[in-house]
Amino acid sequence: MSITLPTYSRLEIPLLGRRERLWAIIATGLRQGVRRPAAIAITVLGAAFTTITSIILLFLSFLLPAGQGTGLSFFAVPASNPFVLFFVSAMAAVIGSGLIADDIQSMAFTLYLSRPITQLDYLLAKAAILAPLVALVTILPLLLTALVAAFLGLLSWTIALEAMGISLVIGGLLTLFYTAVTLFLSSLTRRKGIAAAGVFAVNFGLTIPAGILAESIQNPSILYLSPWNDYLAIANAAFGASGAGIDWPVALAILLGVTVLAALVTYVRMKAVEVITG
Amino acid sequence: MLVETAGLTKVFGEVRAVDDLTVKIPDGAIGLVGPNGAGKTTFLRLLLSLVRPTAGTAKVLGRDIEDGVLVRERIGYMPEHDCLIPDMTGVGLVSYMGRISGLGRDTAMSRSHDVLQFVGVEEERYRKVAEYSTGMKQKVKLAQAMVHDPELYIFDEPTTGLDPRGRTEMLDLVRTIAKSPGRNVILSSHLLPDVETICKYVVILDGGHQIAAGELSQLLAGATDRLRIDVRGDREGFARMLNEGGFDADAGPTGLHVARKPGLEAAVFETAKALGAEVRYMGKEIRSLEELFLELVARTEKRGA
Repeated sequence: MSITLPTYSRLEIPLLGRRERLWAIIATGLRQGVRRPAAIAITVLGAAFTTITSIILLFLSFLLPAGQGTGLSFFAVPASNPFVLFFVSAMAAVIGSGLIADDIQSMAFTLYLSRPITQLDYLLAKAAILAPLVALVTILPLLLTALVAAFLGLLSWTIALEAMGISLVIGGLLTLFYTAVTLFLSSLTRRKGIAAAGVFAVNFGLTIPAGILAESIQNPSILYLSPWNDYLAIANAAFGASGAGIDWPVALAILLGVTVLAALVTYVRMKAVEVITG
Repeated sequence: MLVETAGLTKVFGEVRAVDDLTVKIPDGAIGLVGPNGAGKTTFLRLLLSLVRPTAGTAKVLGRDIEDGVLVRERIGYMPEHDCLIPDMTGVGLVSYMGRISGLGRDTAMSRSHDVLQFVGVEEERYRKVAEYSTGMKQKVKLAQAMVHDPELYIFDEPTTGLDPRGRTEMLDLVRTIAKSPGRNVILSSHLLPDVETICKYVVILDGGHQIAAGELSQLLAGATDRLRIDVRGDREGFARMLNEGGFDADAGPTGLHVARKPGLEAAVFETAKALGAEVRYMGKEIRSLEELFLELVARTEKRGA
């Protein structure tokens, strides 16, 4: 044990504000995330695979008859890249599933809330850790593809910029959806494995059966159950490509509704967790 | 005033964890004692604004607990249960908590080295928390509560799970903090000797109610118009005989308490002779906190029954 109490005076150094406190959680969360080999692997692979396949699709588009491949509607193809679905699920599972579950498991949640932050601050910080990583798969490849196309003169800068704007919006929507749903699942359990399984269940457990069922009974409405198909309907409509079998406004309402609901329920759940862990 | 509550109540379902608590706690080292389930932890969480009161109001350091963030800026909380982030190093965790409390990066780091040195986690500060012993974890929990130099420290059962040496070390640390100018301590514990050695003021809770509050010295001194008599033998019979002799005697769990009256001393020894009992102490009513606590709880139970 040391000899004296440190003579530190808070009056001389005023405490920093909310933004700095949240940034501390975000920066530490990102640093911890990128230290884990699995997280590094899935992030690098996800960003690289989706970007490379999108650019390959760009070059392949020149094999199509003139006028069909290189307009704005071309971007519906990389936006529908199945690697996005796979890697976004993997990233959400590997990086996002433990964001809250680990804190509940270790009871560090109590420690966070004993600091001068609110439950909402905590959740926003956790979302801000996951969202940029998910965006590496949902937004970055589309932006890079449009940039490459414009630089190589395959598209006019006007179309490329328009594509980049749309990519930010639809990629942002997908990022918000996966961030909200992953944090919701993570808040439900102390075991991140269960939350990770939940992320895969939401994606593949809904997308694959919905596709099979919609085709077998010839009723595309079933596709609304699948978040991925909802996203495809919105992406196709946004890039002016032919429809995905379902109406984009309904699909948009479903994705937004689920995102908001997941965020709200997570917030309510967080307010209750403190009482339970006590 | 350190803490001021008025009708503070917290209900979980049908359980009234804190029930209509009105108390004024002065600055200094305060003991919060009570049996398990007395409402101590809920009371602390209300003060930290971690749970919202069902009814009533509370002020901590002059600020309403509704201003949760502003209140917590001035509080350092050491929870009872294990709550550290296992993947972080000791110094990393304490610095991290400092930053979330509003310290700048460099200040938080230098401050975390200071407080870890103070609590006695020095070489081990770069090891992961998961590798720490229970005693070291408790010290890191204390360090994270200290890092932002709060005015009020709330310690919830700080000696839980510690061996005798660890307990002594922890109590020394808490005592040092409590004696530092401008710092206040609320020590919640069911280990009454811990509270007795550190605190000057106690609040005793049972079943969500406050059953006593005041300066420890005054509470332990008891009433000056009564004597305490420790008897080896039939205590109940002893009290009955004194009452039959016109004295006001009460057999508590810790001894007999008798109102002073002329002729009492003689009556006591006559009663002892008659019953074949041995008088081991007769004098001022000086109690330990444990004895006071047992008496108060017994009295509350009797009233409830």
